[in-house]
Amino acid sequence: MDIYFCLRQPSRMVDSKRMKTGSHFQWLLFSFILLYLMNQVNSQKKGAPHDLKCTTNNLKVWDCSWKAPSGHGTFYEVCIENRFNSCYRSVKTSAKIPALLPGDHEITINPLHDFRSSISKFILNEENVSLIPDVPEILNLSADFPTSTLHIKWNDKGSVFPHHSNVIWQIKILRTKRMEIVTLITHNTTLNGKDTVHHLSWTSDIPLECVTHYVEMRCYIDDLHFSGHKEWSDWSPMKNISWLPGLRRVFPQDKVILVGSDITVCFIIQEKVLSAHVGKEKYPLIHLDGENVAIKISNISASPSSGTNVLFTADAIVDGTVIFAGYPPDIPQKLNCETHNLKDIICTWNPGRSTGLLGPRNTSYTLFESFSGKTVTFKRTEEATSEDYQLFFPMIPNREIYNFTLNAYNPLGQSESTILVNITERVHLHTPTSFKVKDINSSAIALSWRLPGNLTNTNLLCQIEINTSNSVQELRNVTIKGVENSKYLIAVDKLNPYTNYTFRIRCSTETFWKWSDWTIEKQHLTTEAIPSKGPDTWREWSSDGKNLIIYWKPLPINEANGRILSYNVSCSSDDETQSLSEIPDRQHKAEIQLDKNDYIISVVAKNSVGSSPPSKIASMEIPHDDLKIEQAVGMGDGIVLTWNYDPNMTCDYVIQWCNTSRPGPCLMDWKKVPSNSTEAVIESDQLQPGIRYSFFLYGCKNQGYQLLRTVIGYIEELAPIVAPNFTVEDTSADSILVKWDDIPVEELRGFLRGYLFYFGKGERGISKMRGLESGHSDIKVKNITDISQKTLRIADLQGKTSYHLVLRAYTSGGMGPEKSMYVVTKENSVGLIIAILIPVAVAVIIGVVTSVLCYRKREWIKETFYPDIPNPENCKALQFQKSVCEGNSALKTLEMNPCTPNNVEVLETRSTVPKIEDTEIISPVAERLEENCEAESENHVVVSYCPPIIEEEIPNPGADDAGGTSQVIYIDVQSMYQPQAKPEEEQENDPVGGSGYKPQMHLPITSAVEDLTAEDDLDEAAGYRPQANVSTWNLGSPDSPRSTDSNSEVVSFGSPCSINSRQFLIPPKDEDSPKSSGGGWSFTNFFQNKPND
Amino acid sequence: MTVDLVYDERIGRQDQELGVDLWFPLPAPLCLLTLLLPPFSPGAPISPAEPIRQAYSLALYMQKNTSSLLQTYLQYQGSPFSDPGFSAPELQLSSLPPAAISFKTWHALEDGERLGRAQGAFLALSQHLQLVGDDQLDLNPGSSILLAQLAAARLRAQGLLGNTAAIMTALGLPIPPEEDTLGLVPFGASAFERKCRGYVVTREYGHWTDRAVRDLALLKAKYPI
Repeated sequence: MDIYFCLRQPSRMVDSKRMKTGSHFQWLLFSFILLYLMNQVNSQKKGAPHDLKCTTNNLKVWDCSWKAPSGHGTFYEVCIENRFNSCYRSVKTSAKIPALLPGDHEITINPLHDFRSSISKFILNEENVSLIPDVPEILNLSADFPTSTLHIKWNDKGSVFPHHSNVIWQIKILRTKRMEIVTLITHNTTLNGKDTVHHLSWTSDIPLECVTHYVEMRCYIDDLHFSGHKEWSDWSPMKNISWLPGLRRVFPQDKVILVGSDITVCFIIQEKVLSAHVGKEKYPLIHLDGENVAIKISNISASPSSGTNVLFTADAIVDGTVIFAGYPPDIPQKLNCETHNLKDIICTWNPGRSTGLLGPRNTSYTLFESFSGKTVTFKRTEEATSEDYQLFFPMIPNREIYNFTLNAYNPLGQSESTILVNITERVHLHTPTSFKVKDINSSAIALSWRLPGNLTNTNLLCQIEINTSNSVQELRNVTIKGVENSKYLIAVDKLNPYTNYTFRIRCSTETFWKWSDWTIEKQHLTTEAIPSKGPDTWREWSSDGKNLIIYWKPLPINEANGRILSYNVSCSSDDETQSLSEIPDRQHKAEIQLDKNDYIISVVAKNSVGSSPPSKIASMEIPHDDLKIEQAVGMGDGIVLTWNYDPNMTCDYVIQWCNTSRPGPCLMDWKKVPSNSTEAVIESDQLQPGIRYSFFLYGCKNQGYQLLRTVIGYIEELAPIVAPNFTVEDTSADSILVKWDDIPVEELRGFLRGYLFYFGKGERGISKMRGLESGHSDIKVKNITDISQKTLRIADLQGKTSYHLVLRAYTSGGMGPEKSMYVVTKENSVGLIIAILIPVAVAVIIGVVTSVLCYRKREWIKETFYPDIPNPENCKALQFQKSVCEGNSALKTLEMNPCTPNNVEVLETRSTVPKIEDTEIISPVAERLEENCEAESENHVVVSYCPPIIEEEIPNPGADDAGGTSQVIYIDVQSMYQPQAKPEEEQENDPVGGSGYKPQMHLPITSAVEDLTAEDDLDEAAGYRPQANVSTWNLGSPDSPRSTDSNSEVVSFGSPCSINSRQFLIPPKDEDSPKSSGGGWSFTNFFQNKPND
Repeated sequence: MTVDLVYDERIGRQDQELGVDLWFPLPAPLCLLTLLLPPFSPGAPISPAEPIRQAYSLALYMQKNTSSLLQTYLQYQGSPFSDPGFSAPELQLSSLPPAAISFKTWHALEDGERLGRAQGAFLALSQHLQLVGDDQLDLNPGSSILLAQLAAARLRAQGLLGNTAAIMTALGLPIPPEEDTLGLVPFGASAFERKCRGYVVTREYGHWTDRAVRDLALLKAKYPI
């Protein structure tokens, strides 16, 4: 008994655990213990019923069973202790009792006829009862092999349950003989008190033909009112589905799938499969039952037209299948519905992206109209094209609004596109047919055409394009009432007679949507009409004055209104009318013999329809006043004549022109201009550049013409082609008179603007005049702008010289050629004589005067130039030495050594390379010395010098004489030439004669500046000298070449003396500068060059 | 007569589709028409040499195009059919008599028997070629070249059929009755089966053409002009 209990209990526990969570487990454990204890107590007496256990499968009846010792013929009485005290008898150790209310119930089980046993009492509560549903049964398991779908059908047997409950179904699908679980489907339903059959469909990822599929199911009733245990039912008996082997061995066949999806293909075979290929690619085999195999194709790519081949190769068999991988249909693009004839609606669309599927798998289209419920299906022509598809939908009478839905579907899906149209606004008419043109009159035609379609209730808008041969285009719109399948006729007026037109037409409805295509063009020539005006006429008397020549211009085509066949010319006077016979069209002039009476000549042009109005012109002579001839120049291709508006001129103006360069009769051409114009452009191919034309402007007043203006002109001026012919009229010794002739008009080729005359010395054969324009300095040019001048005198020429003369004319068009001539001037004898006599006379006079003077002053001359005893004061050499000594004294002011006279022999050549340093220190004093000692030899100079002695008083430089030259000389003396005492000190003419020590007078000798200042302003220099570093006052170094360029410049910058000086800042430039720079040698050169010698 | 009608339709369509027949010289259909005529003109003086010569030239002409037909067909079926060197000799069609025969057996055949087998084979081939053409219209609707070649092959098979009938008439042999060799089989075939079927038909068409050339050469030697 215990063992049974224990065995049962764990199995329940397991089941409970599957469904419930831990709290249920605790509750179960508690009940278990309670039941166990109860049974222990109740079965104290051995042999009494024990282990009462109750379950239910429908919540109405509880199945209770217990354990009891088996006894023959024993039956039990089960009594429920409640207010009814109902008892049930059973021969087995189980009994069905009606479900009890919640709460504890005392159950007594009394084994009857078994004396060994005793009555057992149990306490029973609903909580101790388990709800275990009946095992469900699969009513039907079927398979849809093409779609690999399993359909499962079962009954929930809900009628046995007293109230509504939720049911959870578990359906387990297994495959292969190895019972591999494929999936476990959970399905929730509700019991509603009735037996209900449920369906479930499941699609397999592997074709159902490939392998046997098994299905089993169980259920769990989740009744909210039941407080006892709820348990899963047992699994139902398994059902399976399998494919009866037939001819086919590979599955699926001809499957259409979406690109990129996965598919499993299997091969059912009894022999060993060697390989599987998809296209060229080999795939691994998945083994199914027996020798059957499968392959899984993942992410399949789009198939070619005939599909993707899958091929299995077994020992002796090759088999395969074809998979079509493509796309569902794209949404139809650009769906548009219109009608051509208001009978059929034509809907066009673009299929969009290709599905990659063809043949029976291709996209089907149906067009559905929702208001009428009508559908039309697209019938594909044999070859699929990428162009737009179209479908015809018959129009419904008296319906304007249509709501179309275009549905596209293929095995992979469907899509749709809709459009709502008012079809009267979407009329795209066919191209009109039978388009014809017929004449009405010379300015109107009739157009006719046909338009198919039911256009009765619409107005047509048609556009007529009218083109003329000179490509003038005109568009006219006409509105016509529509008729059914009929012919339309309209008139087109306002056309020109005898004009070639091309017509074409297109139509639309008045509610414009689209034009139809243009019809083909029809060419038509309108009929002739009488010429609209008479020809322009002009007249001229013949040269002998007896005949009048009538000219007229052919009529332009828009005025001729047809082909002009002939002209009639007639002249009429007051009493007679003379008419000339018909003059054929090609002739545009006529000659009439007339006397001098006044006649009116009229010209009439005739075409096949009739005659033009006459053009009249009077025969009388045209009066002309003496008019000034004006000049005009054109633009190269024509010439513009302008005049002032004259209200008196009522008829018109005539401009006549002729070539005046050419002799002969003048009429060349003429042109008529309306009376209201004030200018005329004369353009003609006959007008040529460089030719002079005369233009005559005639004004017309009451049929009588009058010459208004005479103009000569060129349409373009050119350069003259000849040079003026010129001759020398007269030649003198200094002038030439030249005379030239006019150039003929035809060779001038423009208005003469002047002449250019070149002349210069030159002889024949020497092309000195070449390049006249470039302008040689010795070639003179005269521009003669007075074109009436015909002579030129060239003056100021040299006698007996050959001159080259050139003359050329010019116009606005350019220079003409040149003509040259050589002329030799005559000899000038008077001038030669004068040129000889005057110098001779002057020389004689000078000689006489000199002789007289020398005689008169012979004593003075002797004293001066040839004295008996020379005066030492006049010796420049000595003067020079003294200056040197004075200059040196300044150098060594502090030296107290006695001045020992030295004789220095200086040997110098001018060719010695002068040093720049030397010139720097050239002092004005040195320059002056140079002047004074000019007489001395350059190369050999004996100089005596002594240390400088500075005098306090310095004589005025302006007053100095030979003996009064500057006393102080600052020079750059190198140390080895230390100056000694100055022996010449006594010789100085210094009026003061101050000597001895002179403090503060030793100026820096390195600066040439000091040299200058000292020399220029000695009175200042003699004073106190601040011992400043004067070199810093110089802008540049004293040695720099710049400072040597001009002493004056140097001085003008700061000098030491400027500190205390008042007036010496401006040096005597003009005297010093040229000398300092121009001097070939300087005094200082002696010292500087000395060591080198 | 039915054959003639279909023939005309096919030609017409072919011209519309292509404009220019690239692989099928223009005089050939006319030639075929003339070849078809003799069986329908009874009472003419009968000599076997001329029909044998005509049949032989047609068979030679057909022989030149058979490999092109097979290659074009395979090229449109996708891999592995279109792979170079594709061959599946194990594939056969029960409704199509195989051309393979041992030389001894073939040589031992009576003229009438030999011609009768060829007659039966080309009758079956012409029906199969029609079937293959329909199949390809589903599988390769865009391949006008293939469709036209299949149609042309069928016409030639019918032409040869007419020629052999003329020979048999000339030789005084009974012409075997036309029969439906296809029967009920082909309509449910899968795409793969259709492709294979077409392969077998185009292949066997070549084999039977080769055999017909041998048959007629043998006959031509027996009945010189």
